Amino acid sequence: MSSRWFVQTKRIAPLLLLAAFGPAATRPHYGGTLRVEIRESPPSPEVFGAPKGFVLTTWEAGRRAIFTADENAPGGRPFLDNVDIQLARSLRDQSVDLELGKADVVELGLAELRRQAAGRRAWSSAPVRLMALVFGPRITDARVREALALAVDRSAIHSVLLQKQGEISGALLPQWITGYSFVFSATADVAKAQALVAALGPADRTLSLAVDDPANRSIADRIQLNARDAHLTVSIVPATANADVRLVETRIPSADASHALASIALAFGLNEPAPARNPEEQYLAERALLDGYRVIPLFHLPDVYGAGPRVQGGPVIDQLGEWRFDSLWLEDRP
Amino acid sequence: MMFRTRLLLIFAVALTAAVGIVELIVSSSARRAFESMEARRVNAIVAQFDKEFQRRGEEIVRTVEGIADSAAAREIAITPDPSAYLLEAGTLASTNRLDLLELVAGDGARIVSSAQWQARFGYREDWLASEPDWQSHPAFLKREELPDAVTLALMAVRTVAAGDMKLYVAGGRKLDREFIASLVAPQGMRVLLYRNLAPGFAPSELIDAGGPVASSSLLRPLVEQVETQRREAFGTIGRGASAETFHALPLKGRDNDVLGVLLVGNSLSDLVLLESSMLQTAVIVAVTGILLAIVLSWWATARITRPVQQLAESAGRVAAGNWGATVEVASQDEIGQLAAAFNRMTHELVEQRDRLVQAERVAAWRELARRLAHELKNPLFPLQITVENMQRAREKYPEQFDEVFREGTSTLLAELANLKQIIGRFSDFAKMPAPEMQPVNLNDLVTETMRLFEAQLGKAGISASVQLDPALRPVRVDGEQMTRVLRNLVLNAVDAMPGGGTLSVRTAALGAGVRLEVSDTGQGLTPEECERLFTPYYTTKTHGTGLGLAIVQSVVSDHKGRISVESEKGKGTTFRIDLG
Repeated sequence: MSSRWFVQTKRIAPLLLLAAFGPAATRPHYGGTLRVEIRESPPSPEVFGAPKGFVLTTWEAGRRAIFTADENAPGGRPFLDNVDIQLARSLRDQSVDLELGKADVVELGLAELRRQAAGRRAWSSAPVRLMALVFGPRITDARVREALALAVDRSAIHSVLLQKQGEISGALLPQWITGYSFVFSATADVAKAQALVAALGPADRTLSLAVDDPANRSIADRIQLNARDAHLTVSIVPATANADVRLVETRIPSADASHALASIALAFGLNEPAPARNPEEQYLAERALLDGYRVIPLFHLPDVYGAGPRVQGGPVIDQLGEWRFDSLWLEDRP
Repeated sequence: MMFRTRLLLIFAVALTAAVGIVELIVSSSARRAFESMEARRVNAIVAQFDKEFQRRGEEIVRTVEGIADSAAAREIAITPDPSAYLLEAGTLASTNRLDLLELVAGDGARIVSSAQWQARFGYREDWLASEPDWQSHPAFLKREELPDAVTLALMAVRTVAAGDMKLYVAGGRKLDREFIASLVAPQGMRVLLYRNLAPGFAPSELIDAGGPVASSSLLRPLVEQVETQRREAFGTIGRGASAETFHALPLKGRDNDVLGVLLVGNSLSDLVLLESSMLQTAVIVAVTGILLAIVLSWWATARITRPVQQLAESAGRVAAGNWGATVEVASQDEIGQLAAAFNRMTHELVEQRDRLVQAERVAAWRELARRLAHELKNPLFPLQITVENMQRAREKYPEQFDEVFREGTSTLLAELANLKQIIGRFSDFAKMPAPEMQPVNLNDLVTETMRLFEAQLGKAGISASVQLDPALRPVRVDGEQMTRVLRNLVLNAVDAMPGGGTLSVRTAALGAGVRLEVSDTGQGLTPEECERLFTPYYTTKTHGTGLGLAIVQSVVSDHKGRISVESEKGKGTTFRIDLG
């Protein structure tokens, strides 16, 4: 499983402020503990790396990690005294905790994006996650895979379910890394999909779809509906099942195209791509991975965090989703 | 069949038929009453269904109107980006307790939010745009597709208009077992709902308040009949106490297509039990009746058939010759009158027999006297003449007296012998002895007898024809008397042919007996003569005593035989004797 925390790498891209709401910034001051909640529960603290200006002082496996301001940090001590990260918190609980003021920074799920309360801020990274359909070995007929690829109406999902977050894509790597992802078609063509399905036998028209992340269940439902329009019967099965196709997300591990492509291929069980020396070779390598429709890229999605009214400064993440707690301070309010 | 048995059968059949008819009438009346009651109960259930259907429809209409009038709906109607309201229908449906709710943008009739199938956002609902005015439209049945199934729902649609923007609010509730459970059916009745959600009969869609019905296949023909004919239908399923009548009513949608079938079932167990009880009662009554019939028939036969039986026995005694038999007159009814009439009849018979016997006796004595006078008169006249000649010769011719005396006494002796013979024949008839039976070959008897008559027949110019059956077996007869019979018949035939002719004697085996026929070719007899031929002292001849054929008949009768005569005037006569 790829981790979102590897990005404690050494290259910090320029911050992109994608959304900034809330009261006008106040004057920074020191002190306070930033309460952060995340869904994941990393097995060891190493995956967090070392957020700039902080050191790990407490680690409760699966529950909690506390970072404390490094008094000797290069560039000066951060404003916050501590960052208290609660692990394994569901998106819904995070949203509730943010509403109740129990958390300062939480992940925002798709449902929460739709109903952001006034005065809240949301920070979004660059599209650093790839959502894709990945076929298992049972589906040997490429026409089935292509039909499903043509059936999915990405634009409706993007507009409504994803609230226009991220990008529609038919490519493995996002546009901001390669610059050519638009070349890969991401347009639905139900008529062509129906034509492909018509040539299939009844048994080949039935697929099982597993969803790794329950938060993506609504997207799976829509894919199921789109597939039905193409006369494919898709049944959604538990994530643990040995499904014909899975709706998965994987993090773009690097801004380096070759590195990212290799990691994605590894994550999806594809052949290792040939090393590319230039964009053309990179494109061909990616094209080769997508031939045969073993993987159907759907969207490139950003990480989105919401911040409570106490949190000032920001943003909390950079382009690749790396936390930037050093630029935050807390404004205590009555 | 005995009268007693017949009477018993008549009693039993009449009683059983009466009980059967009564049972039939009562059963038929009970069935009509039950059917009438069932019709009323079904009508009540259907009315209840209609009322509940209407009530729920109105409730759904009010709820949908409430949603359409809400600020949230107006906000969705005017929003340029409805994607933020994807979950709104689910929230509103939950708040308003609707199973189904869709918010559909008027522009293009695309779904903004669907409570029942969230993923269908953006899909078109063209049927909404087909109705120009939803505001006054009542609730209606609709087949609604869900992610994993299809359901039947009671729906209502209202529109939200905001400027030139429009939003359809289509909401409803499922027509499911909860709806069926709200219908209170009387005991013995049940209400089922078939949801016609897909082509072909789906057993799982036939539900009652508890869920799918177990015996759905039995109702399949009725459901299919309603779907095909699109109108009410009736049917009965099961047998015996588990039989059930069903009234099936079509539930139609906006396009008048049959979306469901309401089935009101009424158990026939009460009727079957009632009919069974009546049948049991009828059987008990019939059996009791038959037993009563037996007793009554015995009693009736004691009253009716016993006198009749006595009458029959008395009639049998009369037939056997006891003409004085009488029966006891025990009552004054028809049987008593019949017995009295019988007694009068036998009394009259006895009196008439006595009178007849007396008359016949007088006639016989007269005939006997006539015959005696006739027979005796002939010899007496020569006797008188001879005596007178002897007297006259003694007075007038004494010299010739001796010669006259000698001749006279000779004549007198001859005539006296003649008188003696006549008297002997009469004596023989009177003294007919009982036959002594022994096996006799009739052919031998005929041969020997005919041999004695050869000379006489030849002298009379009569030819004899004897035809004897060689298969003839010996019969037990009195040979002497049978010889006398044959002799008399032959002599009778000789007398019938004074000018000659042919005498035929034939024997023939006749089953276990024999037949003897004697025929002549004489003048023949008239029918009247044939009838009196065997009467004693009757004769058609100028001589004879008239006892010959009477003796023949007497002998044949003593041998338990039968004698008959056939004759045709001018052609001859045949006497036929059959012996057992």
